[in-house]
Amino acid sequence: MRSLTQRLLLAATAVLILFLGSMGLILDAAIRDSLAKAVRERLQAHVYTLLAVAEVTPDGALLMPDELPEARFSRPDSGLYARIAGQGFDWQSPSSMGENPQLPVQPLAPGEVEFLEQADIGPEEAFVLRQGLAWEVDDGDQAFVIVVAEHERVFNAQVAEFRRTLWIWIGAGAALLLLVQLWIMRWGIRPVRVLAAELDDIKRGHAERIRRAYPRELELLTESLNAFITSERENLDRYRNRLSDLAHSLKTPLAVLRAALEGRDDGGEVITQIDRMDELVGYQLKRARAAGHLTLSQPVSIERHAEQIAGSLEKVHAEKQVACSFEIDPGAAFHGERGDLLELLGNLLDNAFKWCRREVVLTAVVLPAGTALRPGIRILVEDDGPGIAEDEVERVVRRGVRGDEQVPGHGIGLAIVGEIVDMYGGRIDIGRSDLGGARVTVEFPPR
Amino acid sequence: MRILLIEDEAPLREELVGRMRAEGFAVDAAGDGEEGLYYGLEYPIDVAVVDLGLPKLSGMEVIARLREADRKFPILILTARDAWQEKVAGLEAGADDYLVKPFVIEELMARINALVRRSAGWARAELEAGPYKLDTAAQTLAVEGEPVELTSYEYKVLEYLLLHAGEVISKMRLTEHIYDEDFERDSNVIEVFIGRLRRKIDPDGVWKPIETLRGRGYRFRQFDRERA
Repeated sequence: MRSLTQRLLLAATAVLILFLGSMGLILDAAIRDSLAKAVRERLQAHVYTLLAVAEVTPDGALLMPDELPEARFSRPDSGLYARIAGQGFDWQSPSSMGENPQLPVQPLAPGEVEFLEQADIGPEEAFVLRQGLAWEVDDGDQAFVIVVAEHERVFNAQVAEFRRTLWIWIGAGAALLLLVQLWIMRWGIRPVRVLAAELDDIKRGHAERIRRAYPRELELLTESLNAFITSERENLDRYRNRLSDLAHSLKTPLAVLRAALEGRDDGGEVITQIDRMDELVGYQLKRARAAGHLTLSQPVSIERHAEQIAGSLEKVHAEKQVACSFEIDPGAAFHGERGDLLELLGNLLDNAFKWCRREVVLTAVVLPAGTALRPGIRILVEDDGPGIAEDEVERVVRRGVRGDEQVPGHGIGLAIVGEIVDMYGGRIDIGRSDLGGARVTVEFPPR
Repeated sequence: MRILLIEDEAPLREELVGRMRAEGFAVDAAGDGEEGLYYGLEYPIDVAVVDLGLPKLSGMEVIARLREADRKFPILILTARDAWQEKVAGLEAGADDYLVKPFVIEELMARINALVRRSAGWARAELEAGPYKLDTAAQTLAVEGEPVELTSYEYKVLEYLLLHAGEVISKMRLTEHIYDEDFERDSNVIEVFIGRLRRKIDPDGVWKPIETLRGRGYRFRQFDRERA
C-alpha cells in the first residue's frame, strides 16, 4: 500500500462497516422483538374484547353477536381469526371462512396463556395467542379455550418496512461518515502533501530550502531537511576552502623554488620536475574540488556564468580582440554545483580564447526533460583556431596529460572538464568546428 | 614604470623585486595587504602585482579598495588558487590579469609590460611614433629601422614618455615613476638622462622628439601616432 490516504481510508472504512453493520443487526433484532411483543399485546387485547362481547347462556351455550368489535374478525381472509371452543360449542370468527385456518384448541388450564410464533395454521404462518378460561354456569365451572391468530404477513411487512428504513439510514450515515472521514484525512495529511510538493520543487531546483511552516509533528523533519541542505552546501564550501589552502601552501613554495632557480644555469632539470609537480598538484586538487552531483541544488544559469567568464577572459586576452558570441537557449541552466559549472566553462572558454584567431562561439541547448525531473543541457564551445588533431584528442582528454607544453595549464583544462562531465553522467566529444577550429561538446542528459 | 608588488612570501618577493629592478622598474614591495594598500593609495603606481593570499588584508580586498579609491592602474593577480571561481572573483573585483603560481618569471614580466601598454591605450606590443619603434616585448628601440642601444633606465624613461606622448610630464612625475623611493631624488639626474637620451635617439637633432617645457617638464612630440 503506497499511499497514506489509501491506508487510512481502508482501515476507517473497514471499522465503519463493522460497526454500523453490527449496530444494524442489533437494532433489527431489537425492533423485531418489540414488534412481536406489540403483536402479542394486540392479540391479548382482542381476546379481552371478544370475551367482553361473548355471552354464555345458563345452559352453557355460547352466544356471539353478529357485529364483532373488530371489523377484521368479520371480514373473510382479513388475516385475523378467532376461535372459542369448549364443552358443547366451537365458535369461529366469520373471517375464518374461505381460507379456513386451523386454530389449535387443545385445552388449557383456566388462566393459562400460550403465545406462539410462526405457528402453522395454514395457509401461512401466524402468531397465535391461546388462553384457557372457565365460566361459571349452573352446574359448576365450564372450561374452554379462546384462540386469536394473526397471519404474519402484516408483521412481516412491518418488519420489512422498518428494515428498509433502517438500512437506508445506516447506508446514508455510512456514506456521510466516509465522506467526512475522507475530508478529515485529506485535511490531516495536507501538510505532508505540501511538504512533498515543496521537496519536489527543491529537487527540480525551483526552491532552495523548505520555507513553509508545518505542524509540530513534521517540524523536526523539515528542520533536519533544511539543515541537511545547508550542511551539504557548507561542507562543500569548507572542503573547497581547505583544498584551496592546500593548493596555496603547496604551490607557493614551488613558486619560490622556481623563481630562485630560473636565474641559474644548472636549474633546468629541477625546474622541469617542479613544473611536473605543479601540474600534478594542480590536476589532483582540481579533481578533488569538483563536487559532482548534489542531491538538492538549484539550477545554475549558463548565461550569467558564461558572461562572467567571457568578461574575465576578454580582460586577460584583451590584446587579441576576440569576438566571443553566445547562442544560449533562454533559461538554459546547469543542474549541479556552481563551482563545477565555472570550472567547466572556464576551462573550455579559456582554451578557446587561447587558441582562436578571432572568434569564439558558445552554444547552449536545453534538452527537454521529458519524463525526467530535470532537463538536460548541451554546451558547445567552438573557435576558429588550429583545432585539435584527431590523433591528439585521446591524449588531450586523457587524465592529467598535457596536450601542449607551450601554453601553461592548457593540458589539464580538458582533462578536468572530462572529470566533471563524468561525475554528472554526461559525455564529452571533441570535433572540428565549422569555424575551422576545435569544437568541444559536453552533454548532460535529462535526469 | 613604478610597480607595486604585494607578496607575503619573502624569498619570492625578493626574487621578483630583483628581477623587476633589473628590468628597469621602480619597485614598491609590500609583504602584507595593509602595507600594499597604503603604497597603492599613496604612491604614483603604474602597475600592480598582487598575491591573493595575503596576511592582514586579502588581495581581493586590496584590489577592491584600490578601485574604490579610483586607482585605475592595471593589476595582475598572482595566485596559487586556480579555481575559476576565484579567478573570476578576482577579475571582477577589478584586476586585469592573473597568473597562477608557480609561474615563469618571463611570462610575468611580459604580462606586466602588456598591461602597462594597454592601460596607456596601446594595443600592440610595438609603440610607434614617427621614426621611432619601441618593442615593449623585446625592450628594444629602433630609429628608422636601425637598432639603438639603451640602458634599462633610459629605456624606461623613453617608454614612459612615449606611452604618454603628447602629455606634459613633470620632472617630479618622471622621477616618481622611474625610481624607487629609496633612490636619491635629484632632478639633475633626470636632466642628465634626458640629455643622453636625446643624443642617442636623435643624434643629428632632426626630429626633436622630446620637448622641454620650461618649469613644467617634458613632452614627447606627437608624431602621427598610430593607435591600433
